[in-house]
Amino acid sequence: MSTRKVKPAANAATNKANDKNKYFCGIDIGGTFTDCVVRDQAGRLTIAKVLSTPEESSKGFFAALEAAAAKLGLTLQDLMSNTQLLLHGTTLGTNALLERKGAKTGLLTTRGHADAIIMMRSVGRSAGLPLDKLHHVSRHQKPVPLVPRSLIREVSERIDFSGEVLLPLNEGEARTAIRELLDQGVQAIGICFLWGFANPAHEIRVREMIEEMAPGVYVTCGHELISKPGEYERAAAVAINCFIGPLMSRYVIRIEEQARALGYRRPLVIMQSSGGVASAAEVARKPVFTIGSGPAGGLTATGFLASLLKQKNVIASDVGGTSFDVGLVSDGVPLSGTETTVNQYTFSAPHLDLISIGSGGGSIIWVDEKTESLKVGPESAGANPGPACYGRGGTRPAVTDADLILGYYNPDYFLGGKLQLDKTAATSAMDRVGRVLGMSAVETAAGAVQIVEFQMAELMRQMTVERGFDPRDFVVYGYGGAAGAHVAEYTRELGCHQVVVPLGATASTWSALGVQAADLLHVYETSRLFMAPFPSKEFNQIFEELERPARLQLHKDGLKDSDIAIERAVEMKFKLQIHTVEIPLRYGKLSDQHMKELETAFIEKYERTHGRGSAFTAAGIEVGLFRVRARGRIRRPSLQKRTSVKSAGAIDRREVYWRRFKAFRTTPIYDGAQLKTNAVVKGPAIVQLPETTIVIPPRDEGHFDGYGNFLLTLSD
Amino acid sequence: MTSSSAQWDGRTYPYVAPKKLSIDRGLKLHTAAKASIDPVTYEVVRHAMWNVNVEHGNTIMKISGSPICAYGHDFNPCLLDENGDFVFFGPFLQYLGSATTSAIKWTLENRSSNPGIEDGDIFLTNDPWIGATHQSDVTLIAPLFWEGKLFCWVGNTLHQWDLGGTSPGGFNPQAPDIFWEAGCIPPVKIVEKGRLRRDIEEEYIRRSRMPQLVALDLRAEIAGCNVARERMLSLIKRYGPETIKGVIRKLQNDSEKAFLARLKTIPDGTWREVGWIEMANTQDRHIYCNALTLTKKGNKLIFSNEGTDPQSGTLNCTMVAWKGAIASMICAQMLFDQMFVVEGAYRHCEFNATPGTLTCASYPAAVSAAPALTLLQTIALAGLVISKMLACSSDPELRKEVQSCMGAAMYPVAAFNGIDQRKSPFASFLLDPVGAALAGLSWRDGVDTGGWPWDLQSTMPNVEEHERFYPILYLWRRELKNAGGAGKFRGGNSAELAFIPHKTDRLTFFTATGHAAVPPPGLFGGSPPSTNRYTIKRDARVRSYMSETGKMPDTLEDLPGKTEYLAPKSFDIPALPDDVFVLAWAGAGGYGDPLERDPESVRRDLVNGSVTADWAKQAYGVVFDRTGKLDKAATDRTRDQLRAGRLANAPKKEHFKANVDGARQVAEGLLLVGSGSEDFLACAKCHTRISSARDNYKLHCVTESHPVTAANPHILDPNNYIDDSVVFQTYVCPGCGLLIQTEILRPGGVPLWDLQLGEVKRK
Repeated sequence: MSTRKVKPAANAATNKANDKNKYFCGIDIGGTFTDCVVRDQAGRLTIAKVLSTPEESSKGFFAALEAAAAKLGLTLQDLMSNTQLLLHGTTLGTNALLERKGAKTGLLTTRGHADAIIMMRSVGRSAGLPLDKLHHVSRHQKPVPLVPRSLIREVSERIDFSGEVLLPLNEGEARTAIRELLDQGVQAIGICFLWGFANPAHEIRVREMIEEMAPGVYVTCGHELISKPGEYERAAAVAINCFIGPLMSRYVIRIEEQARALGYRRPLVIMQSSGGVASAAEVARKPVFTIGSGPAGGLTATGFLASLLKQKNVIASDVGGTSFDVGLVSDGVPLSGTETTVNQYTFSAPHLDLISIGSGGGSIIWVDEKTESLKVGPESAGANPGPACYGRGGTRPAVTDADLILGYYNPDYFLGGKLQLDKTAATSAMDRVGRVLGMSAVETAAGAVQIVEFQMAELMRQMTVERGFDPRDFVVYGYGGAAGAHVAEYTRELGCHQVVVPLGATASTWSALGVQAADLLHVYETSRLFMAPFPSKEFNQIFEELERPARLQLHKDGLKDSDIAIERAVEMKFKLQIHTVEIPLRYGKLSDQHMKELETAFIEKYERTHGRGSAFTAAGIEVGLFRVRARGRIRRPSLQKRTSVKSAGAIDRREVYWRRFKAFRTTPIYDGAQLKTNAVVKGPAIVQLPETTIVIPPRDEGHFDGYGNFLLTLSD
Repeated sequence: MTSSSAQWDGRTYPYVAPKKLSIDRGLKLHTAAKASIDPVTYEVVRHAMWNVNVEHGNTIMKISGSPICAYGHDFNPCLLDENGDFVFFGPFLQYLGSATTSAIKWTLENRSSNPGIEDGDIFLTNDPWIGATHQSDVTLIAPLFWEGKLFCWVGNTLHQWDLGGTSPGGFNPQAPDIFWEAGCIPPVKIVEKGRLRRDIEEEYIRRSRMPQLVALDLRAEIAGCNVARERMLSLIKRYGPETIKGVIRKLQNDSEKAFLARLKTIPDGTWREVGWIEMANTQDRHIYCNALTLTKKGNKLIFSNEGTDPQSGTLNCTMVAWKGAIASMICAQMLFDQMFVVEGAYRHCEFNATPGTLTCASYPAAVSAAPALTLLQTIALAGLVISKMLACSSDPELRKEVQSCMGAAMYPVAAFNGIDQRKSPFASFLLDPVGAALAGLSWRDGVDTGGWPWDLQSTMPNVEEHERFYPILYLWRRELKNAGGAGKFRGGNSAELAFIPHKTDRLTFFTATGHAAVPPPGLFGGSPPSTNRYTIKRDARVRSYMSETGKMPDTLEDLPGKTEYLAPKSFDIPALPDDVFVLAWAGAGGYGDPLERDPESVRRDLVNGSVTADWAKQAYGVVFDRTGKLDKAATDRTRDQLRAGRLANAPKKEHFKANVDGARQVAEGLLLVGSGSEDFLACAKCHTRISSARDNYKLHCVTESHPVTAANPHILDPNNYIDDSVVFQTYVCPGCGLLIQTEILRPGGVPLWDLQLGEVKRK
C-alpha cells in the first residue's frame, strides 16, 4: 500500500485506461483535518488530508476528494464519475449536539409523562462524569434541557405493555398541541409515546397530522429509532434526532447532490456509530445513529485490518490529543454496546463499545500540592494553546512536552516537520512543575509518562479482564498521533506482547480508512418477553417480521441477496437478575431443538462473562429482545502489499531516556520510509514517520509487514 | 461516652472500638511502611488501588446480577488497612461505610484467638450492633496476609433479598423488637483458608425465603473479596509491601491533612439540628425527635445525639448506621477532592451517642427499617449541621458546600404484591423515589429529581420497566411544582407518580416512611419542602373516565371517588382495579430567605413549570402580569408588604446598626462582629445588632409561629396522621425583616440553639 511509494503519474495512467467505476472513496471529517482514503481496483490506497472547513463542511469534503484525485492524476469529476461507492464519516451531528447548535425542537408525549426527559431518571445529574467530577456532589447539575418544558406537550392516548390500546389517540388534543408548538416556531417535532414501539399506530397518526399541518417540519417518532422499553432513553434519542435532524439531513442531501452533479451515480453512504454505513436518505431520517461514529470508524478500520492479518482478538487503543479510547475485536467481531451517554443524556443505539478516559498527548501534567503528588490530566491543553512545546503561549506542560524532553520526538520532524517544537519551552514548563516536588524536568517527564501509560493500561484492563476476557489472548493496536510513543509500555503493563501500529503513514487517516472499509449495516429490534421453554413457532415469526424490512432496505440500498447477510440474536437474562447477554441464533427455520440449545448457549455465555457459578438457573430464563443485524457486504478489492524498498540504516542518533535504565542512552533513529519489509529494528530505537513516532524500548523489537504496518514484539 | 468500654461490646450496646485494639498475640500485623514514597510510584499505586476497589465492586455486580445492587446501588466494596481503618470505599451507597471498619475491628478483638484469623479466611456478619447498617446488609471481610502477617483487609456489604423474619424482605412495620425481624449473625468464618464452609453456608441460607439468591449473592461477595485480594497481592509483589503500606498511610495522611486544612478555616462552635419522625408502629400517633449536635473544638469534630428520643417501635437505627450516615455527608461535603478517603476525617471525629435512643438503639430493638427511616434522616441532619458549620468557614470555596436538607429525607417505602399480568405471584417495592432531589445550596438552586448526595448515581427505573414486569398502569409520573422548599436558592423539586392496578384483580400495599406528617427542615430562612405522601383514591373509575372523556386524567381532582391518605406505617392495604394509588415524595429544603430570591429566577421557574404563580407570590412575593411577565413594581410592593408583615408584631424600638468592618459571615443572614469587649451577631443585610454571640440569636429575633402547612403548599394537616402538634416558626431580623432561620418544633418548645460559637480568632 502506502501512497508514499506510489508514483502518481504512472498510476493515473493505468487508472484512466482500465478502471471504470472502480474507486471506493472514504472521507472522514474531523475537528482539524478532513481525511480521504481512496482504494482502487488493485487494492492500492491513496490518501489525502486537507484542513476541515467547519463553517461549511462540504467544502472540505470535496477539497479532500480533489486532493486525492490530484494524487491519482485525475480531476474531481473524473474521480467522482469513476467512483463505485462514496463513503462518509462526519462528526457534524455530534458537534452540533455538544455545542448545542441545533434546531428548536418540540416534543409530544403521552399525557402524564412529559417529564421523563426532564427528570433524566435522576442520573442525568452525573451520567458519564469522570471520577473527580463524580465525587463533587455540590457541582452535579443536569444539562440545560435539549427540549425545555415549554416545548413539551402531552397528548391523551394510552397503550399498554402488550400493545393493547387502552385509550385511542385524542386527535383534538394532538392537533392543539401541534399547533401550539408550531406557533412557538419549532423546526422539529419529536413524538415519543409510552409503548409506542409495541404499537406504533398513535405515533404514526400524529406524524401524519404534523406532515399535513406543517410539511416542512422535521419529524421523528420514538418507534422509528428504538424498539425496546425505556421511555427516557427513547425520548432522549428522539430529542437528539430532532435537534440535529434538520442540519444533518440538509447536509447529507447537499453532499449527495453535489456528488451527483460531479458525476457520481450511486447513493452516498454515511458511517454510523454501529460501525456500519447507511444511505444518506436513511441517515437524514436517523442522524442520532451517527453520534459517536468518529471513534467507531477507528474500530471498524481495526476490524478490517485484523481480518486481513488473520488476528481474531484485538484491543484497539486510540491515543488522541485529549482522550484515550479503547475498543475490542473479539473473535473477529468488533464488540457492540447498547447505551450511549453524550452530554449526560443517555440513549440506546446500536454502537461499537468504546470506553474512554481523558488521557492523551495534550493531558496537563501538574502537582497536587495538598498531597505532594504528580498528576496527569484529565485537563487538556487542547490544540490552542496546546502543550508548551507548541510555542503558542502554553505554559503548563503536557504529555507531548514530556515525550519531547525524553527524546522520543524530534523537534524538527513533528508531524513531518509541519510543526516546529520548542524543547526549551517544554523543559522550563516541566521544570516549574517538578521543582515543587524536588524533581528535575527529566524526572518529572519520565514520571508523568509512566503515570499516563499506567492509566491507559488500567482502562484496557477494564475493557478486557472485567468483561471476562484474558488480555494475553489479544494483540494491541495503537493508533492516533501519540500512540507510537506509548503503545509499547502500556501494552507491556497490561501483560500483552504483540503490538501493531497500523499501516504506517495511513495510521493518521485511520478513521477514513474505517469509513472506506465499512459495510452497510441496519439493525432491527423488537421487544417481546418470553420465558423458557421458548416457542420456536413464534420465534420464527418474529424474526421473519424483522427480516422482511431489513432485506427490503438493503435492496433499496442496491444490494443483491447474495451480498446480504442476516445475523439473528436475542437478548437473554435470568429472571430477577439484571445482566442481559446477547446470544446469536442460526439463520433459517428454528426448531424446538434450537430453542433448547439457546438455553444452554445462554448459560454457557453467562458464566463465561460473569463468572463460574453466577448462573441463577432456578429463576428461569427470559428472552426480552429480538435483534437482526442486516449486513450488506460491499465487495472490494483486497489491499495491495507494499513494494519493498531497500533498507537504510539509522539516519540519526540522539539521546533518549529509557525507563529500564532510568537514564538517557544514545539511540539510533530510523526513517520509517526507508525500512525494508521484515527488516528487524531492535530496541532501543526510534522509528520516525511523518505522522507518528514509534518508540521501541530496550529488548523489544519490531518490523514493517507487507502492508506497511509496524509490528512490535515486547519482552516481559 | 460516659459508660465504661466494657459495655460497648456489640451485644446490648453497640460495639465501639477502643483506641488500641486487643488482639491475640498469635496474630501478627504488618505495620512496616516506607515513610516517603516518590510521587510517581505514589500516583501509580494509588490509581491501581482505586481500581482494585472498582474491580471488586464490578465483580460483585457481575456475579450477583441483582437489581438491588445495579439500580439501588445498595452495596459497596472497600479496602482497609491492617487495623480495619479505611483506605478506599466505592462510589456507591456511602452510608454503608462505617459497617466494614467496625466489623473488622470487632473481629480482630473477638475472633483472633478463637477461631483465629488466617490467610484465606473470610468472615460474614449482618449484626447491626457490630458491623451492618441493618440485618439485610450483609458484610464480608477478608484479611490479606503477607509473609505470615496480616497486611490489610478487603470487604464489602451487599443488601440481600430476604434473610427471614415475619415479613418478606425482613421489615415489618408492626415489629416491637428484632425478634420479628431477620436474625443477627455476629462475624462467622464463612470461608476457611480459601474453602467455603458448607455447614456455615447452609446455616446462613436456611433462614431465607429465597435461599438460592442469597447463596448466589454470597458467592458474588466472596468473589469480590478474592479478586481484590489477588490484585493487592500482585501489587505487593511488584512494589514491595513497605511501599504499598507507605502509599496506604500517605493516602490516609493526605486526606487527614486536607480535612485539617479545612477545619482550620472554621471557628470553634456547636451547631444543632432536629428532625421529627412520626408513628413508631401502625397504631401509634406520636412524633419523636432525632437530634444531632456537631461541636468543633480545635482539630476535632464531635457528633452527639443528645436530645434524641428513646428507641421506639420500628423507628430505630444502631450506632453503626448512625455513624455511617454522618460519614456520608463528611465525605460529600468535606472530602470531595480526596476520593472520599474517610479515614482522614475519622481520626478527628468523635461519635458520642446515648444508648437506648432512636439513633443508638440497644439490643433487641427493631432496626431493620433503619435505612429508610432514622438512618436517612440522620444523613439529612448531618448535612445540615455540617452546612451550618461550613457556613462559618473563612474559605469561600468551602462555603459552596453549604446546603439545605436533601430530598426524600426519609424513603417512602411503597411495597406491593399480588398476582402479575402473567398470573404469577410477585412482590416488589417502588424504586422511583431514588429520584429524590438535591438541596438548595448557598450559591445555586437544588437539582430537581437530582437523587441523593450520598449516592453519586441514583437512578430511577423507567415507567415502562415497571409496567412490563408488574400489573400496574401509570397515569402520570412528573415533577411536583413547588415541592422544593422556597428560598433564596430553592430546594430541588421531587416528583409524584400515580398508577392503577392493570390486568390483575387486586394489589396489596404496605408502607413505611417518615416526614409524612412533619416536613424536614429548611436552612437559614429557607422553607421546608413538601412531605412524603401516599394516597389511594377509591372507586376513581379511571377506565370509565377515559372512555367517557377520551382523555387521560391529569389529577385526582378529575376523578370521582373517595381519597384516603395511607399512614406512614401501614400494612396489608388492598387496592382494586378502580382505585388509584398515588405516591409523592418529599422535595429538598430551601436555602435563605425566599424574599431575597432574584425575581428573574422565579420567573424562569414559572416558565419551566417548577413553581406556580400563586406560590410565587405567596412565598417569594413575586408578581406576574396576565401574560406571565414579571411585574417589577408590584413585586417590590409585595415584598415590602411581606417584610413589613413579618415585623408587624415586633416591639417598636431603635436598632443599633453595627460597623461590620472585619466581620465574619457565620450564616446566610448573620455576621459575627467583634466589638472589643464582646462579640455579637448582626444581620448580614441591614447590620442590625441582634444578640451577643454567647446567646441564642433566635431569642432576639422577631419570632412568629405558623401552622406547619404554611411552610409548603403540599403539606397536609399533620392531624391526618398524628395527635401531637408542631408549629413552623420563623426568626426574623428586627431591623429589616430578613428571614434568618426557620424551625419546626412542638408548640411552646424552646427554640433550638443551632449556632453556638466558641472563641473566634478574627483577622
